[in-house]
Amino acid sequence: MHLLLFTIIDNIRSIGWAGAFALLRDGIVLGALYSLVALGYTMVYGILQLLNFAHGDVFMVGAFMGIGVLTVVAGPFSSALPLVPLIIVLFAVSMLGSGVLGVVIERFAYRPLRNAPRIAPLISALGVVFILESSVQLLTNAGHFQYNEYPVFNRLFQPAVFNPWGQPINIADLLVVGTSIVLVLALMFLVNRTRLGKAMRATAFDREAASMMGVDTDRVIAATFFIGSALAGAAGVMYGLSLSDTWFLVGFLYGLKAFTAAVVGGIGSIQGAMLGGVLIGLVETFAGAYAGGNWKEIVVFGILILFLLFRPTGILGSHAIQKV
Amino acid sequence: MSETTPPPPEEPTPQTSRIGVDSWVAESEARRARTPAALVGHGWQRTPDAIKLLAFVGVAASYPFWAANQGDLFIFGIGTLLYAALGMGLNVVVGFAGLLDLGYVAFYGIGAYTYAELSSPQYNLHWPAEATIPIAMAVAALVSLFLGYTSRRLLGDYLAIVTLFFGQAFTFFLNPANPKVAGKGLTGGADGLPNVDPIDLFGYKFTSIRQLYFLLLVVVALLAIAIHFANQSRVGRAWRALREDPLAAEVMSIPVNRLKILAFAFGAAVAALCGTIHVSISTAATPGDFDVSVLIIFYAIVILGGIGSVSGALVGAVIINCSLQFLEPQNDHPSVKRWLFYGTIVLLILSIKPVIRPVLVLAATIGFGFAVHAIVAATAGSAWTTGVPGASAFNPQASGGAVWINHWAIVPAVSHGNFNNCLYIGLVAAIIATGMLSGWWRLAALVPTLYLAVLAWENLLAQNGAITAYLLFGAMLVGLMARRPEGLFGSARVEIV
Amino acid sequence: MFRRVGALGVTGAAIAAVVAMTLSGTASARTTASASTSCNSPLTIGVAYPATGDAAGIGALQWDWANAAANAWNSSHSLKISLLPGDTHLGPGEQAQQVAQSFANNSSIVAVTGPAGSQEMQDTAAIWKAASLAPISGSETRVELTRSQGASKRQTTKGYFYRTVPNDGQQGGDDARYIYRKLHIKNVEVIDDQENYSIGLAGQVTSALKKFHVHVTRNSISQTDTNFSSVIDAIPSSTKLIYIPWQLANQAQQFYVQLHNKGKDIPLFGSDGTDDSSQFHGPGSYVSGFPFDPNNATVNAFANAHGGDTESFGIPTYTSVIANAQAIQAACHANHNSIGRNEVRLAIKHVHLTKAQSLLGFPVSFLAKNVGAFQGVGDMGGSAGFGIYQIQDDGSYKRVG
Repeated sequence: MHLLLFTIIDNIRSIGWAGAFALLRDGIVLGALYSLVALGYTMVYGILQLLNFAHGDVFMVGAFMGIGVLTVVAGPFSSALPLVPLIIVLFAVSMLGSGVLGVVIERFAYRPLRNAPRIAPLISALGVVFILESSVQLLTNAGHFQYNEYPVFNRLFQPAVFNPWGQPINIADLLVVGTSIVLVLALMFLVNRTRLGKAMRATAFDREAASMMGVDTDRVIAATFFIGSALAGAAGVMYGLSLSDTWFLVGFLYGLKAFTAAVVGGIGSIQGAMLGGVLIGLVETFAGAYAGGNWKEIVVFGILILFLLFRPTGILGSHAIQKV
Repeated sequence: MSETTPPPPEEPTPQTSRIGVDSWVAESEARRARTPAALVGHGWQRTPDAIKLLAFVGVAASYPFWAANQGDLFIFGIGTLLYAALGMGLNVVVGFAGLLDLGYVAFYGIGAYTYAELSSPQYNLHWPAEATIPIAMAVAALVSLFLGYTSRRLLGDYLAIVTLFFGQAFTFFLNPANPKVAGKGLTGGADGLPNVDPIDLFGYKFTSIRQLYFLLLVVVALLAIAIHFANQSRVGRAWRALREDPLAAEVMSIPVNRLKILAFAFGAAVAALCGTIHVSISTAATPGDFDVSVLIIFYAIVILGGIGSVSGALVGAVIINCSLQFLEPQNDHPSVKRWLFYGTIVLLILSIKPVIRPVLVLAATIGFGFAVHAIVAATAGSAWTTGVPGASAFNPQASGGAVWINHWAIVPAVSHGNFNNCLYIGLVAAIIATGMLSGWWRLAALVPTLYLAVLAWENLLAQNGAITAYLLFGAMLVGLMARRPEGLFGSARVEIV
Repeated sequence: MFRRVGALGVTGAAIAAVVAMTLSGTASARTTASASTSCNSPLTIGVAYPATGDAAGIGALQWDWANAAANAWNSSHSLKISLLPGDTHLGPGEQAQQVAQSFANNSSIVAVTGPAGSQEMQDTAAIWKAASLAPISGSETRVELTRSQGASKRQTTKGYFYRTVPNDGQQGGDDARYIYRKLHIKNVEVIDDQENYSIGLAGQVTSALKKFHVHVTRNSISQTDTNFSSVIDAIPSSTKLIYIPWQLANQAQQFYVQLHNKGKDIPLFGSDGTDDSSQFHGPGSYVSGFPFDPNNATVNAFANAHGGDTESFGIPTYTSVIANAQAIQAACHANHNSIGRNEVRLAIKHVHLTKAQSLLGFPVSFLAKNVGAFQGVGDMGGSAGFGIYQIQDDGSYKRVG
């Protein structure tokens, strides 16, 4: 174990301040991705007390929808496409598509189990995960698809926009972080200032009372799934634009880590999902650099287990463990 | 005080109807009890468990003598028994105590690796099995105790998360973490621990497949007996109370946390036992054996068989393992796969009551198929309809089998890249549409859905057996939870809201 | 109570009966070594490869080339061969064992190509030996399969394993020599992908480089990783070359892109796992790969049939099938057209393929005894080795070593 400590100290020294800044930049970008996916988990848990394991795969499908659009619209090496409209189309298509997917999943896998024992929707979620992953595996022949094979996206990376301490910050980084902030602000506006948001908060607080007050809980729940899944779809496209490598298993690990982010930040709280996302992104990036690439996942999972054991409500959590 | 207590209510006499139950309802139960399925179920329930176990053991013990060859014994025999034992262990955790343990595979792995550490060239220890197996089970039970104790306050879904992440952490612990102990990487990293000794029980070495098969059979039988007795005991009753309503159980002074941990430990010990047997069969402990994709198989077995039912776990293991193996490409029996697939679909359709409806649907599907085939052959030419079903780029030498399919289903001779993808997406859309409709519209939508399913099978799914297996297991889980959560042999639970 | 005792008694008796049967059963694996197959009908070669799972991509390449070999052989020889696939999933040892067991039990199989992974060979060595089969693998590169190394013993039995691909010791040594002698680089970072093949090769290269007193730093990624920021940011600024012995060429390409997007223009050096010009084409990188002749007619025909992609990872599988076919043919001639597995197995060691027949860029024959530090019985001898390529600005590979 002390061998690991020596490695860490060694790495801290050799990476230095410039390197630490690079890690900070990368951690925040990764964290933005995790936050968007974590929001979906947290919203669904807030309303249904259900852990939607399939959410990570919705993220994966969103990334693939982007690939689908690119295959249809762009020839493999055509750089004559306008960048901004293309990105807008990518976001629109994948957000819409993922949202619809989320609603369908809710309708078929979770709605019949509204009144079933708590274990039933979790098992159903496990089934949905395998359905989604196997379907995409069949459709894509288990291949890897790259966003950056399309030269139109080169502008996102070269040349860099800023270059503090020799560490480039490029348009892709700004795009990811900026879009996340915009989407989260939009979500907070929706939840706090609109009627639908009020209905969602009411349903989350007490579903029966809300339905007695005239709220159509089925529609509210469907809307929640739509919004959460649309955010995951947006995250999928952003993932593609920045990290590029899309394949059928990409959702599994990202989903788990985003889930960690949701729990660490406080499940049921939107600000918690954002905070947790950024935190987990930073932790993963720093751990991977200082302790070595093979410790990334263990550190993140270790943090989750520690939080669950000692502070299950997370940092900003609002839900108590037991509701009588 | 005593004046204000109301008089006790009248006992209902046999002649008066019970309130809320009228004659039609009473008759409907009797009607339902006369159907063949109900009679079989009734007969099954009345058979004592010992006879059922005896029958299973008898059939299983005779299998090595009529198995086609050693390979089949290995694949169908040993695989099924191993899964059955694991399913029974998981059943105790999920079915009896109601804890969703998504890290079950980790205990399987802990048992395997512990045995491998103690009986392999890794640290040059070659302890006999009568020492290593109990040690492996004890280690797994200890780890589960730790896990269970620290998460005792967590509810069902939080426990699921903790166990899931524990399972993931275990996978990452095996490789890449692989910490150094006594100079060597403890888990062997990506290579795992090779050259594990075969089980050496009191000097008797289990090396041949037949010996291992019988050993497994003994283990399965003993497990079944142990669980049966545990279920009948106080602990079993307490577990069932815990499963139904933990809060009420706690109020009845049942030590809920202790029982949860006990169930956890029991399940972990069983998994470790299976792990030791598994690793002595495969003679190497590798990290890839213990990841999430194996989990779905265990859950498929437990859910299909019925949560809380031992015979369910046995039957579930047989069905799931045999389906999985038949779908695998190298056990290529195209005709078996095909009949399994069509048989299952027909059975499922026939479960719609009254019986006349599914018959109509099936007839309509057949007619629809011929019609579409004729139309496509006429308009798009024979290249679209003269492929050999069952052959593919994967297996061009396959002869395909049933040629009658050719006149009914559309199997293109040359693979048109996106045809399969469009088929699949079309099938998914059709299933969704069928789900959203109801009544006669649903039956009508079922016809093209069935046809699309057949096309998808012939063109895409049959060739990718392993992926199809996982797909179908996932779909089975979702479907079972929605329609029949108690599985085949479980008992339907009424949720008190 | 009586029911319980009765049940207990009955099942106890059943258990006793089963135990008695166990103790009396001494069945051994049925082998078909002595079964005879006629050479007049097509003889079957079993091909074990990962058709599904994470490595399905490279498995498909191997299968494509195996089919190309079968077609090429059948069109020019009177003795016909046919292939039977077995999906080893490249994962759990049990899957490879099931395939091995199926092949062993299938009496029509007289020779085997594959499996793909060194770990799988280890898990199945006993099964092949009992079945008198000697698999010829086109991708298992672990040195210990043919030689002992330090504390690790040889992991297969002599005469029951051959391979048509140079092993990690050869590749590691060749690459290290090129890096030190030709590129004059003294500061290298080696990153493995935590799988068998990669760790083995990384170890060989690291020790070879250290012998040249080159400074080596180590790190790891995993095969499911898509985000390399931590590893990239942690690269010491003095590093002049990054050696990436990875199995997935698309990961190498992504690493290249991310490296350059972060402003670090350090050249990469990939091993034969990354040798795929359709996926890994970052200009300025080096790759070691099979020195096949890109102008060869068979290679060109294959590329044309597969959308321009030579799928070079699978070429040794082609060589393996041809070697198996030659062995079968030799056995048929020597045994009056009726052969069993053992005859084929014994014929493999006399197989000789010319450069044109092997497609690998060198003639193939198998060693009869240990040679040098890394080659043993089962390895190819002679001029077998890797070529070093540099990726040009247009993404094509140019041989430089």
